[in-house]
Formats: sequence, structure tokens, C-alpha cells
Amino acid sequence: MQLTIITDLNKCVGCKSCQMSCKEHNTSGAFGPVPDETPYQDPDGMWWNRIIAMESGEFPNTSVLYLPKACMHCYDAPCVPVCPTGASYKRQDNGVVLIDYDTCIGCQLCMWACPYGVREFDEEEGVVKKCTLCIDRLEDESLPPHERQPACVQSCPTHARTFGDLDDPNSEVSRLVQERQGFGLLPELGARPSVHYLPRRPAPSPVEREALEEALKERY
Amino acid sequence: MRPAPQLLVLTVGQGIAGGLAVSLAALWSMGVLSHADAVWLVLLALLTAAMGGVASFFHMHHMAAARYILRRLKTSWLSREALTTGLFGGALAVAAAWSLFGHTAGWPYLWWLWLTAAAGLLAMWVTAMLYATIPAVLSWHTPVTVISLLSLGLLSGASWVGLVLPLGDHRYRVFAVAVMVFTVFVLGIKALHWRHFAEAHGRLRAETGTGLPFAPYRLQDTGTTKPPYRMQPQVWPAIPVRVRNLFYGLIVLFVGAGSLGCLLLARLTGVELFSVILPGMVSVGVVLERWLFFADATHSSRVFFVDEPRQPSRLKLSPRARVPAK
Repeated sequence: MQLTIITDLNKCVGCKSCQMSCKEHNTSGAFGPVPDETPYQDPDGMWWNRIIAMESGEFPNTSVLYLPKACMHCYDAPCVPVCPTGASYKRQDNGVVLIDYDTCIGCQLCMWACPYGVREFDEEEGVVKKCTLCIDRLEDESLPPHERQPACVQSCPTHARTFGDLDDPNSEVSRLVQERQGFGLLPELGARPSVHYLPRRPAPSPVEREALEEALKERY
Repeated sequence: MRPAPQLLVLTVGQGIAGGLAVSLAALWSMGVLSHADAVWLVLLALLTAAMGGVASFFHMHHMAAARYILRRLKTSWLSREALTTGLFGGALAVAAAWSLFGHTAGWPYLWWLWLTAAAGLLAMWVTAMLYATIPAVLSWHTPVTVISLLSLGLLSGASWVGLVLPLGDHRYRVFAVAVMVFTVFVLGIKALHWRHFAEAHGRLRAETGTGLPFAPYRLQDTGTTKPPYRMQPQVWPAIPVRVRNLFYGLIVLFVGAGSLGCLLLARLTGVELFSVILPGMVSVGVVLERWLFFADATHSSRVFFVDEPRQPSRLKLSPRARVPAK
């Protein structure tokens, strides 16, 4: 079993509700170091899920992309073998990559090893943290079954994110990856990320209002 | 990559200690070293190794978990580094005690010196492998990294011998010539290493990093207001070309010209001061090299946090269109 999130890049509008809901759920709204004590530091602290906005191309062929980027829960996670204490580990039962904060020494070697830059250093506790796929929600039996999914998936207003088991060929996520040519980031580095993205379709050709009305008149 | 001071002290200190241990064993085997000189050399090696060892503790931010550090010897180079550096420190401590209080004539002492040198080389190799085996750091992921770190460590350690021995003296002629030849080798290796760094700058792929079909890409937003330089030390503002070239020049000046010049002048003039200047020059050069090694390293995640290199505008502005400076 390999739990994962598939993001449809056609549907993501960059609203950052997944980024905010992740922050709200996983750090209970805390925004890093207290500004009163260290007033000149960045007040926002860690972000386990960052929505990266990029524009590409040159006029007139330009495009803007919103890329939600959190832990990829890789099949061959490079952050796991480098950890000297075994604090970083991959769960055998569901494939989620987690960190044991009690045994992490904060050496940050896993942050170097991660190709995606999704691990962040918690200066308060001196340990490295990252997306847990909201493992506490997934395994909370007091929640109704439809709520046992990551906070970012639940909060997405456009339903761009889908959660499921990538190893199950009949699951929704497997079907999406298979039918829509889902891709992982930086495949050349060999980490085999489980998180996939559904590529954007080409922008449709613009239709003039008169042509549209004419076509509607012909049909109806 | 953010250059952490503790990592600089750790790698430089370990290199000097390893180089000193190898030089000590070689000089003792050649029979040109007095007992007092051997004591000073082994104490210097112990001091620099201890410096690196103490610095490594500051590299950990959650000391309570330090007792678990040997848990992953099977997979983690950092775990192995902790073991081999500890073994090297222990071997050096025994060598120092033996030199001070023991009987140094005969083969057991010589064998122990060579064993200590082997432990030093092993510790340096493991440390170098730690950096060279991270595919995400595109600049380091090459065997040249291992050779570079090892050779610079050996050279810096050999240069520290000048603090104890007058290297212009004819008794140490073979050692001095060996150091000069080795300096040329180190410069060659560094040139290869820097070439790999330059190639790594151009290997960031927006196409595979984001799936974007068109180049060039420009970053609008990294998720927060600015790149997470504080939370993610693997990304670091790119070093301007002028600064990088300045560092290249200084490193060649201090490590290459400094080492060769001091040894030649010591030999030609017989002034002992040049032997003392030698370790200073080489050490400054190695510290600069190590700073650049970290600061200039390209991590694959830069593609998400930094723009593609900006191209100058192809439009020719008329003088009237220019905005006057305030």
C-alpha cells in the first residue's frame, strides 16, 4: 500500500487553502517563533505545504502554474537511509514517510538529501519536520470515514487533490495517473515520488462571441 | 547551501588532523624526526581533531537524541562518520599518550602511528563520501568531491608540519618536495571540481521540476513572501560570478602560490619564518575553499525557489526612455 495525493494542475487555482489548512491542522495555527521575543525574525515559521506560483514562456505564449509542493512520500525516499539515528522512516503498511521527533538530532542531512526541499527545520524544537500526510487524521477512528484524509485534500475548494492508494490498480488515484498521464517531479534523481501531478491541458482556442451565437443558433 | 561554521571547523579540523597523522607516520618512518618533534606533531593533530570533534557537537540541534547516532551504520554515512571520527580521535589520544609517556623506539610505536594515519584517512574518506553520495546536491555528487576533500586535508596537515620543523632544512628535503608536487595535484583536482560545480549550475531542470512546457520560467511566489533560506539551509542565494571568481583567485593564491612559494623560499633562503607562514597560508586557503564548497553548491530544490538566470533585455532603450536616477 502506498498512500498518496494526486493534484490536478488544471484545477488548482493557487488559492492556498491547502497551505493554510495544513498549517492550521499540523501546527495548530502557531506561526513560528514568537515575534515579541525575536521581533526581527520571519514570523511565519515552517510551511509543510507550499504553493509555488511560476510563470513561464515568453509573450504571447505564457503560462502561470500553481504547484502545491509537500512531501512526495517517495518509494525510494533518499531522506530515509541518510538519517544516522533512524528518526526518518517509511512505514511498511501504508508507505508514509515520517519523522520520529524524539530520535531526530536535527543534523539536517535529510534536508540535503531530499531533492524537493520539502523538509523544514523547526528552530524551536531543533528537529526537522515535514508533511505527515495527516497520519493522525487517517488513523483517527473517531472521525467519520469520509473525513479520514489529509487536511489539504479536504479543504481544496476545486477538488484538485485526490487521496488514495497508488498501489491499488483499482483506486481513483491509480486510474487518474494512468488515464491522465500523471507525472512525478524530478524523476531523473531516482527518488520515485508517489505524489503525482496531472499535467495541464493546452489552453483552448478563443471563440468569438458572434461565432458562438451562430453555432448555438444552428444547433437549437 | 548555507555554509554552517560548525561544518567548516569540523571538515577543516579533521582534514588537518588526518594530514598531520599521515605526515607524522611518514616522517617517523623516514627516521628524520626527533622524539620531541613527534610529540609536538601528535599534540597538534590531537588539538585539531578535538576542534573538529567539538564543532560536530554544535552541528546537532537536539542533543538528547545524540545517543542514537550509531543506529544506522548500515545505511547512513553520518552514522559511520561519527564512528570513524571517534576511532581516529581515540587512536590519536593513544598515540599522544604513548609519545609522552611510553617507549617510542621500535616497531610497535611505528605501527601504531601508521594505524592512526589509516584511521585518519578512513575518517576523512567517510566524511567525503557523506557529501559525494547525495544525488540532490548536484555539485557534490561526483567522485572528485572525495578526492578533493581527501587531498586538501592531506595538504593542509602536511603544511602544519612547518609549525614544528624547519622545512627548508636539507633533512626534510624529500618531504618538502613531496608537498610541492602534491600541491600541484591538489590544484588540478580543484580545477576539475570547480568545473563540475559550474556544470551543476546549468543542470537545474524546470521541465522535470515543474512539468512546465515553456522556458524560461520565473518565480512569482515560493509559497510565502520569500525563499525559505532560514527554514531550508539547502537553498541559499546564488553567489555572484564576480565573488566566485574572487574566491577562486584567493584559493589558488593561498593554497597554490602560498604553499609553493613558502616552501621554495624556505629552501632557498633558509629562513625558518617561511615554514611558519606556510600553514597559515594553506589553512586560510582551505577555509575559503570549504566556504565556497558549501555556499556554491547547487541543490535540486533550487528550481522551486530561484528564478532561471535572467537574460538581459534585447530591446535597445533610447536615452529619453531611461528613468533618471533619484
